[in-house]
Amino acid sequence: MATNKELSDFLESVERRAFKQTAYAVRDDHAALDIVQDAMMKLAEKYGDKPVEELPMLFQRILQNTMRDFWRRQKVRNLWTTLLSSFGGGHDGEEERDPLETIDIEDDSEEPSARLERSQTIKLIERALEKLPRRQREAFVLRYWEEMDVAETASIMGCSQGSVKTHCSRAVHAMAAELKMHGLEGLGLDKTSLSN
Amino acid sequence: MSINEHNMKNSLDENVLKLADGCQVSEEQVGRYMSGLLNERAQYVHADVAQRLSFARNSVVAQHASQQTQAHSIHQSGNVLQWLGDHAGQYFGQHRVMSVAMVAGVMLLTFFTVQQFEFNRNLESSDAFLLASELPPEAYADKGFDTWLVSKRD
Repeated sequence: MATNKELSDFLESVERRAFKQTAYAVRDDHAALDIVQDAMMKLAEKYGDKPVEELPMLFQRILQNTMRDFWRRQKVRNLWTTLLSSFGGGHDGEEERDPLETIDIEDDSEEPSARLERSQTIKLIERALEKLPRRQREAFVLRYWEEMDVAETASIMGCSQGSVKTHCSRAVHAMAAELKMHGLEGLGLDKTSLSN
Repeated sequence: MSINEHNMKNSLDENVLKLADGCQVSEEQVGRYMSGLLNERAQYVHADVAQRLSFARNSVVAQHASQQTQAHSIHQSGNVLQWLGDHAGQYFGQHRVMSVAMVAGVMLLTFFTVQQFEFNRNLESSDAFLLASELPPEAYADKGFDTWLVSKRD
């Protein structure tokens, strides 16, 4: 059974990552915060008695399910909004956001150009991740970011291991294509870090 | 199909990505490299986001601590009813739709049970009436019996 300290340490180690992952998925920081908080509560409430080594997988499963619940609610809300707006004949003020429309560069005069380039690469990767289809993003996050193996990822996603491999492969290729499209032919890869 | 999509499709089966300098890297290497960068960025969140996350974590841990204390005190006092009450309350609080459905189900079940009892009671009283009557049961089933009875009386 996880102690309070273990639970606190675990949550502290994942909360920012979980927030970012959720924000990439839902594209709304406030909703992402709510989802992460909800997932934390559910974890402590239902699985607080589990050993600490089981918590990462359980938390990811809860997080993914909470995101799915969010999308379900959004779908219903959008349906009502569409219906009501069609009755009202109002204008559609919301424009579809293209995440690659603007790429702002962090102004950090102290850092060399390499640092700037790295920052740009990260921004491109973030936006490429946002643009991925939901299942591909889920697979990428769980498999590479959360460093889960294929079986664990498949279990959380509720699909076969083959599907996980396909989603991961497509995700990496799509993200690489986005980076290349923006002039990063070498994907910003640091060859020395890859050889390790 | 765009050039990027074409390139992507071609190299998808190979599990490698070709870079501009002809160098090949595996998907896993690229995935992990990108994740490393994303992880690096994830550590820098806005101050109010960090604060809210920290607040959420602390409240979750406090709740966990109170649950543990509660479980411990229940274990010590052996108050099973209190434990059951708490858990049932939590369940109904969290699953409102289920709770409403359950209440509706119980009401329907009660209604049908009462109906069934009523039907059986009516059946029993009509049986008793027929047995106690001087006339044979066929007389009540005969539709012309009442008319015949009236004409006979007249």
